[in-house]
Order: sequence, then C-alpha cells, then structure tokens
Amino acid sequence: MSGRLFQRWLGLSLVAAIVLVAILAPWLAPYDPNMSSGSVLSRPSAANIIGTDQLGRDVFSRLLYGARVSLVIGLAASLVGMVIGVPIGLVSGYVGGKADLAVVQVVDILISLPAIVMALIITAVVGASVTNLILILGILKWPIIARIVRGQVLVLREQAFVEAARSIGCTTTRILARHIAPNIMRVLGAQFAIATSTSIFTAASLSFLGLGLPPPAADWGGMVQSGFDYMFLNPLLTLAPGAAVTLTVLSFYLIGESAK
Amino acid sequence: MIRFVLKRAIWVAPNILILTFLLFAILTSWLGSPSAMMLGLDASPAAISEMNRAYGFDDPIIQQYVRWLWAALQGDFGRSYATKQTVSSMIGSALPISIELGLWAICLSGFAAVGLNSLIPRGKISGSLISAVSVVSITIPNFMLGATLVYVFAIYLRWLPTSAWAPWSDGILDHLLHLILPVATLSAFYFGSFSMIYRAEYRSVMNQLFVRVARAKGLSATRVSLQHILPNSVLPVITFMGITLGQLMGGAVVTEVVFSLPGIGRTFVAAIRGNDYPVILAIGAIVLTGMMVTNLIADIVIAWINPQVRLSS
Repeated sequence: MSGRLFQRWLGLSLVAAIVLVAILAPWLAPYDPNMSSGSVLSRPSAANIIGTDQLGRDVFSRLLYGARVSLVIGLAASLVGMVIGVPIGLVSGYVGGKADLAVVQVVDILISLPAIVMALIITAVVGASVTNLILILGILKWPIIARIVRGQVLVLREQAFVEAARSIGCTTTRILARHIAPNIMRVLGAQFAIATSTSIFTAASLSFLGLGLPPPAADWGGMVQSGFDYMFLNPLLTLAPGAAVTLTVLSFYLIGESAK
Repeated sequence: MIRFVLKRAIWVAPNILILTFLLFAILTSWLGSPSAMMLGLDASPAAISEMNRAYGFDDPIIQQYVRWLWAALQGDFGRSYATKQTVSSMIGSALPISIELGLWAICLSGFAAVGLNSLIPRGKISGSLISAVSVVSITIPNFMLGATLVYVFAIYLRWLPTSAWAPWSDGILDHLLHLILPVATLSAFYFGSFSMIYRAEYRSVMNQLFVRVARAKGLSATRVSLQHILPNSVLPVITFMGITLGQLMGGAVVTEVVFSLPGIGRTFVAAIRGNDYPVILAIGAIVLTGMMVTNLIADIVIAWINPQVRLSS
C-alpha cells in the first residue's frame, strides 16, 4: 500500500533529521545552551531566533541540544523494555504451562496500570536522572513487549518448520534463538519504534510535570513547562519545544505503525 | 455466568491487596520514615526516633500496612502533611472534578470516533484525513495540545478563559466555558485511540457476507454502515472506553496541570513534588483499586455479551 510506504519514508526521514540535529547540536547551535546572554525573555530576533528564556539562555540552542536528551532516553528505555520483555515473551509463549499462566497474569495487571501515574510514583521514590528515567520507562514498557512476543510465538510454535526442528532434536534454546526469533524480527522492529515513541512521550510529560531531569539539562518537556508562565510574552518558548516533542514522537510512531 | 463472575472476582481481591501492599512497602521503605519528612531536614535524630515510636513507624511493615488498610477501609487515609486537611476530604473534593472532565472527554471522543468513522465515506482523501488526524491526536502530548489551544483560543482570539475551574455554582455557562479547552485537550488522545480501534474492527466486519447482502438488497451506504456494520464493530471501543474510565481514577494528570484544574491528577502531582506521603499512598491505592475493579467489570460485560469467553475459561 502506498500510504504505508509514504508513512515509513516520512517517519524515517524525520528520525534521520532529528538524529542529525542531536549529533550536530554543538556545531548547529549559535550559543552555549546553558549560558545566559544577559537579556532575559527577549522576543524572537535575528540574534535569538526563538528568543531567550527566563534565565536569558538562547532557546533555539537549547532546543537543538534537547534532541539529545529525548533520543537517548527514548531509545535506551525501549531497549531496556526489549531486553526484559523479549526473553520473557519467548519462553512464556513457547514453554507454556504454569509459568506462562503466571506471566500472563502479571503482564495483564501491569499493562492496565496508567503509565504516567506509575512513572510519577517511581520517579518520586528513586529520583530523576538520565539512568533512572531510562530504567523506569523501560520497566514500564516490558509487559507490552512480552505480550506481543508471546502472541507471535504461540502462532509460530505450531508451524511445520518448528515441528521439523523439534523432531530432528534441536534444543529449546536453539529453536527459540535460530527458528523463532528471526521470524519475529519485523514485529520487534515495529514494537521498538513504538516503544521509543511512547517513552519519549512519557519522559516529556514527566518533565512537564516537574519530575524530569533536574534544571540545567536542556530538556523539551521542562522547557515547555518553564515557558508556560510566559505564554503572553512569547508563546514560542512553550510551543517550539512542544512541537519538537510532538514531531519526534510522531516520527517514531509512523515508522512503527508502517512496519506492523 | 455467575460462576464466571465469581471466578474473576476471587482473583481481584488478592491482586488489590498485593498491589497496595507493594505500593505501601515501596513508599515507606524508600522514602524513609515519614517522621523525618514531617520534621524537616534539620530535625535531630532523637526527635525522629521519638516520633517513630509514638506513631508506630518502627513496627514491622506488614503491621503498619494492616493498620493503614484497616483505617483506609473506614475512609480514613490520614492527614496531608502539606495542607493538614484530611486526605479523604481532599480526594472528596478533587475526584468529582476529574470524573466530570473524564466523562465529557470519553463520551465526546467515543461518539466522534465512531460517528466520523462510520459516516464519512472511505474515499481516498476523507479516509486518509481521518487517519492522519487520529495519528496526530495520539502522538501529540497533552501539554502541547493544551498549550496550543490556550494560545490560540485564550490568548490570541480571547474567546475562552485560559485556565482554572469554575464550579457549577458560578453558573452553567461559565462552568462549561471553562471546560471546553480541557475537554478538547483530553478528548484528542482518546479520539485517536478509539478511532484506531474502531477502524480496525470496522474494516474486518465490512467485508463479511451479511454486509454484502445488505448492500445487495439496495440499502444506502449510510444505513449499511450505521445499522449493520456499527453494531458489530463497536464492542472493542466500548471495552476500551471502560478501561480508559478506570485509568481516569488517577485523573488526567497532564491536562489538569496545564489548565490548573484542582482534580485528582493535580493533587497527586503536588503531593509527589512535596513528598506528601499519605496523599501519594491514598491516591496510588485508589488508582490501583479502581483499575482492577473496572477491568473486572469490563471482563464481565464482555463475557455477558460473548458466551465464548465465559465458556472457554
């Protein structure tokens, strides 16, 4: 379907652009993201395209650096989710029995908990840092990944090639690693992109609520929050970082949806 | 049917106990003793241990949990450290606000998602327009949509108030005017999810034989869509609406903060930022319990409608 293809290309090129911005931030940014220029809350001008924030920092430079934080947290969190979720889903789906029942029970409960509320509680307990956020968001992601992997395995394990592998004496580990895992790569890729998208979404919401990375960090959700009070003066302080989050979440989501 | 309900209900109670106990244990052990928090950073160790003894914070955690649970079951969640109000009165005034906001949003977005997707012909342009809107409404964070709406309608056009809650006593018009932007913000996300679910189901029902028969005997496209396809594809949307309603026990956290609505979500965020332990615990426990109960209800409704479910398990 051409719509799908368009979605995928749009998603991929946007992600490529955001990654480039993140890597090239030091060269693209006109100013140091954490240095005050002295003029506080100045309106957009040739010197400061978006203006300066309440501490006199150039918002455009902070916006570019913000891509780093978002991407690192989003990608790493979804990796953590995969590392926990994939093996659990594989084993639970393939082996079945009591262990599978237990996994299904736990996963069902965890999935139905509202992510933002859980993230708030855990962040309040352990505190927010890049590592903590990655772990928290990753831990919130694994149940959904485990459920999807399990669903795939349930279908695959009944197929002839798996039975053939079993009958020539392959061990369970070998069947899972060599015969089943390669067949779920496409689904895993899609899930990885979607998990990245939702992790960036949740991380930004946490920072917006004031529980994200501590202050000097150039982080989009936090920028939206601090700009919110100055909406009357310069709406771009809020809308520009907000648009950046939306674009990033959207582009990963498009990749994931189009690969499903 | 009764056996099915009982079987499910029996699972729910222990799950609620385990989850609330985990919450209790995590909060008490990691946040440190509540006395240290209440007395502040410069409290002497002697004062802290004195208070620990007086309030029983030294007791084994299971004993503290049972004591908390027993009081909570009678509606006593203690007092907030920050506001000194009883937690139950705080929740009592915040919950109706979150529930009203949520009900508006869920109902409106449910109707919009089902209505638009059944009525608008699946032509090339209109079809892809709805799917584009659905995707964007899922991926745009609430704070961004809220900020944009505030800027456009409250600051630039000056049609609507920027934020705050107007109770019914301020007059119906004022009440509703203050609700428009928050409800629109919250609805967007739900609209996207409901729309995705409905479209997937609609597409699979659309190709079934009875639909072709309906069309073949000359019914109009609208009639086929509303009378034949809709009833057979709306169920997953209703289930999901129920689950969403359960999640709203935690309030629409981000939306409430954007629009300064004094609902459960904003109370919760304030409690977390201020380490207000009794409030975090109470709202956390209510969210968990609400979730489990709505999931149970959703299961029962599905089983009631679809006998395959209750007979197979």
